[in-house]
Parts: sequence; C-alpha cells; structure tokens
Amino acid sequence: MNGSARDRATAVLARHGTLLLFLLIIFVFGTQVPAFIGPENLGNIIKQASFIGIAAVGMVFVLLTAGIDLSVGSVMYLGPLIAGFAMRDYGVGVAGGLVVAVAAGAVMGSINAFLIVVLKVVPFIVTLSTLFFFRGFGAYLTSSRQFDFPEEIRTFGLSSVLGVPTPILFFAVVALGAHVVLSRTAFGRQVYAIGNDEAAAAKAGIRVGRVKAGVYVTCSSLAALAGFVLIAQIGRLDTGFGEGREFDVIAAAVLGGASLFGGVGTAFSAVIGATMIQAVKIGLVFTGINLYLQPMLQGLIIFAAVFLDSLRASRLEMLRRRFIRPR
Amino acid sequence: MKRISTLIAGAAFATAGLGIATPASAATICFAFQDLETEFWVAGHTAITRTLEEAGHTVIERNANEDANRQLEQVRDCIAQGVDGIIIIPQDGESAVTIVNEAQDNDVPIAVFNRPPSDLSKGIVVVADNASIASQAVDFLAKEAIASRDGDGKLTPMIIVGDLGDPNAVGRKDGFYAALENYPDDFNTPIEVASDWDAATALANLEAAVTANPDIDLLFTSSDFLFPTIRSVFEPRGMWAKRGEEGHVVMGGLDGDATACQLLKDGYIDSTGVQDLYFEAEAALSAILAAIEAGEAQPNEVIEDPGFALTSANLAEREMDMWGCVLLSEGFLDQ
Repeated sequence: MNGSARDRATAVLARHGTLLLFLLIIFVFGTQVPAFIGPENLGNIIKQASFIGIAAVGMVFVLLTAGIDLSVGSVMYLGPLIAGFAMRDYGVGVAGGLVVAVAAGAVMGSINAFLIVVLKVVPFIVTLSTLFFFRGFGAYLTSSRQFDFPEEIRTFGLSSVLGVPTPILFFAVVALGAHVVLSRTAFGRQVYAIGNDEAAAAKAGIRVGRVKAGVYVTCSSLAALAGFVLIAQIGRLDTGFGEGREFDVIAAAVLGGASLFGGVGTAFSAVIGATMIQAVKIGLVFTGINLYLQPMLQGLIIFAAVFLDSLRASRLEMLRRRFIRPR
Repeated sequence: MKRISTLIAGAAFATAGLGIATPASAATICFAFQDLETEFWVAGHTAITRTLEEAGHTVIERNANEDANRQLEQVRDCIAQGVDGIIIIPQDGESAVTIVNEAQDNDVPIAVFNRPPSDLSKGIVVVADNASIASQAVDFLAKEAIASRDGDGKLTPMIIVGDLGDPNAVGRKDGFYAALENYPDDFNTPIEVASDWDAATALANLEAAVTANPDIDLLFTSSDFLFPTIRSVFEPRGMWAKRGEEGHVVMGGLDGDATACQLLKDGYIDSTGVQDLYFEAEAALSAILAAIEAGEAQPNEVIEDPGFALTSANLAEREMDMWGCVLLSEGFLDQ
C-alpha cells in the first residue's frame, strides 16, 4: 500500500472511528455471549437507549451553542408528573398526556432560557438551580410519594408499530427531526454559528438570545418527552426518577462526538453515544461481570471511547493539512 | 390524610403502648434525613416527627437531598443551634460515621435511623437486620420454587441488587445468598442485576438479563418499589402471572410497602421481607429521649429490628403487622 492509499484508509477509519468502535463493542460482547447480537437484544439496546438518547439529542442543541443544561434529570421527572396529574385528575388521554409533558418541558426550558438570556446568568448556575427547583416542586406536588399513572399509559408504552417498539419510534423521529433542523434550516445554521463564535454571529445579524432560548426550550421539551416515554413503560413515577441522568445525557452527547466547547456535533452524535453506552451496560449484564466491577468497566470503556475519538479527531486534522512539498 | 392519620395512629401507638421515655422538659431534636423518596422513608419521617411533636418536643428538620456533605453541614448547624439531640437518616454508611463522630465530639447524643454507619460502635444505631429479613423472605421463595419444580434440574435464581454503596442493599444481597446456600443441590449460581435503586436502570438491566436468561425460576428484588418495573419486563413475556397460573415466577422482595401487600394478596408475588417501621421509630425516639433525660452525651447502643417475612402462607395471620398493609387498608394506593 503506497502512502496515498494508506492516508485514504486512515482517513476512512478516522471519519467512521466512532461507528467502528461501536461495532467493535458489539463484536466483543457478541463473541462472549452470542445471544447479545440476537435481534431481540439489539432491539432492547436501542429501546433502552431511547430514554437517554432522546434527551441527549436535545442536549446536543445546547452543547452546540457552548451551553450546558444540568436540569434535564429533573425535567424528566417533573414533565411526566404534570402530565400524570392531567391524565389522572382531568381525564386527559395518553396522547394528550404526551403533549402536556412536552409543553411542561417547554415551560421549564423557557424558565431556563429567561434566566440565561434575559438575566444573563451563566447556564451552569441557572440549570444547577433549576435542577433542584424542578425536583423540589415535583416532590412538593407528590409529597414525595410515588405517582401511579392510569393503566392505559402502559398499553401505550409497551405497544409497537409493525413490530417496532414505540420508544424506538419516538427515538427515530426525534433524531431525524433534529437532524433536519440542524442541517437543513436557518435555525440550525445559526446554532452552529453561535457555538463557533458568538460575537461574530451577533455581528452577522443573528438574534443570539432568541436562538439560545430556542435550544434550551428544545432541550427541556425533549427531556420531558424522554421521561414520558420511559414512564409509559413502567406506569409509576418515583421521586428519584431521572436523578443524576443529566450526566448520562451529557456523556451520551459527548461520546457521540459533540463538543463541550460548542460548534461541533450532530443529532446522530447523541444516537450513537446513547446506544453505545447502553450496549456497554447491557453487554456487562450479559457477560455476568461482577456488579462491583461493572461501573469501573463502564467508566474505562467510555473513557477509552472518548480518548480514541480525540485521537481520531487529531488524525483527521492532520490529514486535512495541506503540504507544500510531497511527503 | 388517611395515610397521615394512620401514621399518627401508629406513632401514637408507639408512644403510648410501647412506653417512649419522655424527658421532664421539652427537648429540641434535630432530625436530619437524606431524602424522602420512597413510601418507607416518608412513613418513617412522619412517624418520628409526629411523635416528637405530639410529645411537646421541638423538631428541627433538615433535608440533605441525598448529599452527604450537605447533611454534615446541616448537623453542624444543628449543633451550633444547641439542640438537645440528633436523629439522622444518613446518605450512606461512611458519612454516618463522620456525622456521629461530629455530634459526639460536641457532646450531643445522636441516633441513626435504619441506614447503619459502617462503624456500629458509636451512637444509637437502630437498624433492620436486612440480611436476616432477606434470608427469611428468600428461604420461603426457595421452598416454593423447589416445590413447584418440573423434573430434577437445578433452578435458576435472579436477584435485583440495590445500590452497593448502601449497607442495606449489601445486607439484602448477603441474606439472599445465605438463604440459597441451604439448598446447594437445587439452585444454579444466581444471576445478579444491578438497579442502583433506580427504576430506569433496573428496567434496562432486567430486560437484558431476562433476554439472556429467559428461564428464571425465582426472582428476588432488593426493594419492593421495583415491582412495577419487573411487571413491565415480565408481562410481555407471559411471566407476570398469579400463583398457580402458567408462567408464574416465584417472586419476592423486601420493604413491606403497600404495593407489595397488594401483589401478595393478588398472588403475583410470594413473599416480602418486612422492616418493622413503627418498632424502629419508637426505638430511636425512646433511646435518644432517654439519653437526653439521663444527661448522657455519647450514648452508644445498637438496636436491631429483626423484621419478618410476610408470605402467601402467613398472610392471613400477619397481614396487619406489615406497615404497607396498614397503609393499603387505609386506601393508600387509591389516593
């Protein structure tokens, strides 16, 4: 293989490194336990990844603007809870409940957006505060009791369309919709522009505040939808639901290639990241690894994935350089 | 309101019937709890605060929202306010040791409710014997599974484990294994499923575990609050069935909550280990108030709740000994 062919091969490997790593993880666990790569389990991986994945798609919007939203775990709890009250006390159906949950998420996102855009408080502090506020409000509404949803929500949560489980359908629709918004609309281009250089974006006439508000509303709406999709499978909401999930959501987005510094990432980043994390978790269950070792192995694998991804990024950067003299 | 009145009644029963020591003058008690996320913690919190207030004591409540460092600061704040005694529900066993030492160094008697410190030698420690309670519940499940076995093959048990940073979860896991060790020829190596006390984690891991091992004969969940999660995994697979019906998996849990009581009555589960909540609350209050009365600044005592297993066999006799069944009888699940 001459130098040029090797460079091309390296470029292909580098461009698709994350996907290849994902396939490697599937392959390694599959060789350990063949049932891991069975269609039922692969479907389970995507279904269980949908909870974090839907929220991670929303988080990608925020990360693209170099922001952060730490309140998603609490929104995952409070959004479905408000929907549950609407369903139980006002006879709203499942579809109506879903709309209420997303609307509640949008309201929570608007609160974050108001504090960040209008009052100019940094997103980390705002969303850390609302993390406690939203959860505390939910605990107040329920007096810390679990909330039982009407039975029909489980029928919805466990249903499937043409053999595809409902959570996977929601995940797919959200990911595709987000991809279209980010890659085919003016709003999407403005999100990237703000993440790359906010001052330059403002000078170019982009209404930075409005776009930023939009990403926080999107993030919270999708977090509430994610919570509703998961709760629809269980039928009961506990006070601890969603707690600490903000870190899983951020990890999924970053693992898929989104940058914490803004401007880099796609909707599919979140899909790949969330599915990869879930594949690792389920792989550890399949292989029967000691429970004390599982968190450590998860941490190591995720670190290795991000580390390899950073190597991949630097390699890509090197390949893109133009050389005056042939090497 | 019915639930609260039940808890007040339970607490009042504990105060009057079981003879809580009450100091001659009203005391100020700091009650610092880690959070109120399950029926058990809510019921325990209510029993303690109501009983103290009914007896004329002042209660300073502090919620740490699952932050051990915050709880330590809250306890320091209570000490600075000059409280007469402290009752804590700690976040974990390690932080409990630090908080107990902090209180004792400042000559304030302290009692630890239900979640034991990793060092039991200091403070008043009221703790359920989780290993023993789990063992009682699992022993019944093992006998049921063996009795309903088809053929001579070994049975496959599964355990949903709690957060392994929580001593209660570790005790329950130990009790599960201890019970199965009595039947070495009847059970395969148990399958462990992590839950981290989180329904979403339990859902994902249990679904994976059941896909990998579809022929489970016995399931024990380390907490009753996960039964709705188990149902959502088992039901589509035809494994959520009543005793005597095709597909029934011998199943049990631990806590003794209202849902478990209902499921036991309906026949979906076979046993649950029960922590005697009212005994534990009464024991913590009695001990701390007695220490205050005696002027004892560093009382050290371990009070163990032996608990029991409510099973399909003793349900009729012992139903109302379980706090969850008391709540259920008051319409807790209908509210």
